[in-house]
Amino acid sequence: MNLELIPLLIIALLMISAGGADVETTEFVIEGDHEITEHRGALIVGDATVTVPADEAVSGPVYVIGGEFRVNGTIEGDVTQLSGSLVVEDGATIGGELQHISGSEELSTEATITERTTVAFESSEPGPIAAYTPFVLTTLILALGGTWLSRKHELLLDTVGAAAQDHPLISLTVGALLSVTFLSVFVFMAFTLILLPVSILGLLVGLVTVAYGIIALGYLAGQQLNTPRVGLATGFGVVVVMVVLQVIGAIPILGDLIAGGLLLTGLGAVILTYFGLQEFEPVSLPE
Amino acid sequence: MKLFEFAREREWVPITGYLIYVSALTAGYYYNLTFVQLGLTDLGTQKIGMPPGDVSIVMAILALLTLVAAVVSGVLMDRRGWSTDLYVKFRLLFLIVLTQLILTVAAPHVSTIELFVLWVIVCSIALGVGIPVSFSFMLDFVPVRDRGYVAAVVAGLSFFVAALYPIEWRIDEFSLVMSAMMVPAVLVLAILSVKRFRFVDTLASQHERDAFGTGRFCRPISVRTASFAFWGPVLLMFGVFFIDSLGFLRIIETTLYIYTSWQSPDLSVRLFIAVLHVVGALAAGVIYTNFDRNWLFLWVFGLFAFTHLLYVFHIQFGAGDTPPLVLPMFYVLAVSFYTTLNFALWPDLSTPETIGTHTALGVGIAGWLATFLSTSLALYSEGIGLSLLSHLTYVNALALLFVVTLPVLLYVHRMVELARGGLTP
Repeated sequence: MNLELIPLLIIALLMISAGGADVETTEFVIEGDHEITEHRGALIVGDATVTVPADEAVSGPVYVIGGEFRVNGTIEGDVTQLSGSLVVEDGATIGGELQHISGSEELSTEATITERTTVAFESSEPGPIAAYTPFVLTTLILALGGTWLSRKHELLLDTVGAAAQDHPLISLTVGALLSVTFLSVFVFMAFTLILLPVSILGLLVGLVTVAYGIIALGYLAGQQLNTPRVGLATGFGVVVVMVVLQVIGAIPILGDLIAGGLLLTGLGAVILTYFGLQEFEPVSLPE
Repeated sequence: MKLFEFAREREWVPITGYLIYVSALTAGYYYNLTFVQLGLTDLGTQKIGMPPGDVSIVMAILALLTLVAAVVSGVLMDRRGWSTDLYVKFRLLFLIVLTQLILTVAAPHVSTIELFVLWVIVCSIALGVGIPVSFSFMLDFVPVRDRGYVAAVVAGLSFFVAALYPIEWRIDEFSLVMSAMMVPAVLVLAILSVKRFRFVDTLASQHERDAFGTGRFCRPISVRTASFAFWGPVLLMFGVFFIDSLGFLRIIETTLYIYTSWQSPDLSVRLFIAVLHVVGALAAGVIYTNFDRNWLFLWVFGLFAFTHLLYVFHIQFGAGDTPPLVLPMFYVLAVSFYTTLNFALWPDLSTPETIGTHTALGVGIAGWLATFLSTSLALYSEGIGLSLLSHLTYVNALALLFVVTLPVLLYVHRMVELARGGLTP
């Protein structure tokens, strides 16, 4: 599954949960071409092409978070488009509200749509300042966090940094295994709806842990400056790490692999050292 | 890694030991994964025309006979001192590979049930004797420090090749290819069995070196056969094999799941599985080498529990669609993890004096007895018409039970230790 779908999936599940739909009848179509007929319950369209044929009716609500949703028949409930492509053909009917938030849509004038709303956002192609604002803000927050942490609790960052530096393979392995497993577990939890809050909390904790790993890597980078002003050095190091992650991502495949490897190494080092509370020592083996 | 040290110091003989171990074990495990496991089914159902249920019973008998042959030969090897005699082990391996070669050549000509049963009996004896012989090579060739990584290479390589080849299993073609590959091995082993070489003499004495002979968990006190330290891992590995086999047997019989499994007709799916096997095995190697073994067990049970949960979830809500690759992904990770563990664990629970018995009991009971019992149970569940959903729910429950039991057992064990040693302030 495309990882970028996960936040949208969580949002869709939250909306389903808020709407009081039954999770047992919710269907999530992840990939492939499908024709949906007579589905009773919520439907989420992921990286798939889903068609409701003419003379067929599904109850809805329908959430389009990726792929393509093509309506020839009838949707009795609401349709919410968060991303992807929506095509409503001649003679198709949407009995509820069609809410367009993002993505491309193609609506036939011959189609019957009871109510249509659009959530307007800023221009879909922001200028360079707007495009880099989230990155700059994130970097700034992490750099400030790193500065504060290194001044108040330098030992924590030192321990995490040592694990990442001395045991990069172990950190990377643990980081990769934990992220793959827990990401899947949290997405899976989200589907139960009951555990949706736990899922969101888990993902947030995961993000914080990754951020902590970046700060620790920044601390390591800052150490190269050989300055007694550890806070400043860490802040600068975090900026360097963030810029490296951003720039290296421009290299196709290899760049993503390196960036991912760095993030996972940081994550693994944080976990291995209990967030820096205990030094990591591998088991002792005979030489 | 010790291997890099050997390379730096240009010690080529120990490096040759690594190569011999990886080649022998990878070839042996590949043969087991393909020819024995896939081949028996194909031979029984397609060539002879037996019902699949009867073939499964024959497979279960093979598993049981293999266990008996492994234990008998393992105990004999230790008592006669063959476990520490590399030349004897080469001779035994020569006989095993020669037998397997004859069986492989004969396989396409087996046409009756009687011949098939005879084929299975001879095959199980060869497999059984092969377990203590091949697994005990680790103490001759691989230093304790590198066992996790070397086990990972063997597991990853054999699964990688098995996932990609053969794409279509036709016994006549496959028999020819396997025979052609086995002939050089038989010749090399024949020479090593009758002629002494200086480099083999060096390899034969490596188990006396501190870095090689005594397993990781036998230091400073060796693990006795009749101890919790040995039977605890046997029980856990039994659970792992049992859970895997019990779930897998029903999953691969379901057409929907074949498309995202080893037997998928889509090469990209098989390549995905093959690469993931290697990645999973290497990750397991890193964890085995750097953490306590119980962490690896926890990961394996956790992965199996989650995998079966995914399958159960898909059966309930998947609406008959082709399952996403995340399902086999977790299955493959779990299998690679425990296979790596299986290769490294038994030698590490042994000394040169106990390796034959321990590997035979470990692999025999955990691997083959578990397969025998799970095959029987899977057949039973199919026979009474238990749905795939219910079957996998039971398997999942078992995996979850092990996830919980492991930490509880460790905790209780620690309590018993403390109680025996008296309370400390």
